[in-house]
Amino acid sequence: MIEKGKISASQMGKMLYLAILPTAILTTPAITFKFAKQDLWISPIWALCGLIVIFVSLRLHRMYPGLNIVQACERIVGRFPGKIIGFIFPLFYLYFNGIIVREYSEFVVGAFLIRTPLIVVSGSIVLVCAIAARGGVEIVGRFSELILPAFITLFLLIVVPIIPDLQVTNMLPIMPEGIRPSIEGAIVLQTWFSEFLTASFLLPFVADQKKSQKSVYISLLAVILTLIVSNLVTLLLLGELTGNYTYPFLTVARYINLADFFTHLESLFMAIWVLGAFVKICVFFYVTVLGAAQWMNLSDYRPIVFPLGLLLILFSMWVAPNFQELTHAIATSVTLAIITLFVIIPGLLFCIAWVKRRLWIKS
Amino acid sequence: MDWAAVLGIAAVLVIMVRYEWPQLKPQMKREKTAYAVLTAVGGALALLLVFYPEMPGPTQGLDALYKPLVKWMDHFIEKRSG
Repeated sequence: MIEKGKISASQMGKMLYLAILPTAILTTPAITFKFAKQDLWISPIWALCGLIVIFVSLRLHRMYPGLNIVQACERIVGRFPGKIIGFIFPLFYLYFNGIIVREYSEFVVGAFLIRTPLIVVSGSIVLVCAIAARGGVEIVGRFSELILPAFITLFLLIVVPIIPDLQVTNMLPIMPEGIRPSIEGAIVLQTWFSEFLTASFLLPFVADQKKSQKSVYISLLAVILTLIVSNLVTLLLLGELTGNYTYPFLTVARYINLADFFTHLESLFMAIWVLGAFVKICVFFYVTVLGAAQWMNLSDYRPIVFPLGLLLILFSMWVAPNFQELTHAIATSVTLAIITLFVIIPGLLFCIAWVKRRLWIKS
Repeated sequence: MDWAAVLGIAAVLVIMVRYEWPQLKPQMKREKTAYAVLTAVGGALALLLVFYPEMPGPTQGLDALYKPLVKWMDHFIEKRSG
């Protein structure tokens, strides 16, 4: 095994929570609002893909202990198809991480460091993440354990002071057109819930396997709950305007004004965003590096961390010419690609493995 | 401007190789090959992006791959937001 480090089940849960939530809080309210309108806050409940993906990765790990989905795939469908899938997964993780780095730097540049070139922001975060990923899964796990309390505190510091300004009438009427708009709004959210497949890459390193199942499901619940809270707050404060902003939750943070003393709390949001994006990029980068090293049968993943980091920066430049096209791609082709790769392929693999096991028991 | 970018890329590549190469042990042949190939790919891609920034990217590839579905989703988004 390439990685010798071990993480605890709760660390894995925290990693997954931080690896999924930050970008979801930032960009989804605007996209979801287009479909769901005032049912915006109901959409995160339809986490179907998350449930499927978690179920599949847990069951596959139970069938093939100590193997992640790519390694299990080689056992299920044979060496050659397994190698093809084993190549696509790290490549897609690299591409997807490129999108995340781009979103991160576009946001930092667009909202805060207006005169800084994009490449400086993306280059510095990738360098930090590469150093962390080089430290191994233990380091990334401990970082998430360290950052999670800060993340939640800052999140509450934004949500709690805004409560007096919320207008409950903004969410009325609840479900005027039935359940459908909220489900349509949840389609884009499936991208984020599909990211729970990352659990499959972390499960082999969990020391206390018995708790891992509980920990992943708690993580999913926490993500849903946080998204409901953030969407609800955005909706109750901004109402119909939610769809007009690129980053509605940032607008919420800007709105806070406690006795003319606590103002400009968007810097808190910036802190949340940098901390969260750090863990998110780290986890995804780690999975890319691990997947690539396994695909090439390397004895150590550390040597390829920096070359892949360079590729990650380049991909972040390459994914889209501008932010509008990136947002459009996230809402359409990236969602489709991620659902195919992270939900349908693992689902099929699980079905094949299950049938194979049945036949094997019979004979 | 382009040539400044090329110099920057060259500097990054040199720093990367100078840092990592001595840490690779002589018997790690596979790792050395992987490192060299990935760095070369990175350098080549960086140069391409400097000189042809409009080069079609992976996102366009995905768009082409899912074309019918993307069209349907676009239509759908327009209908809902209009």
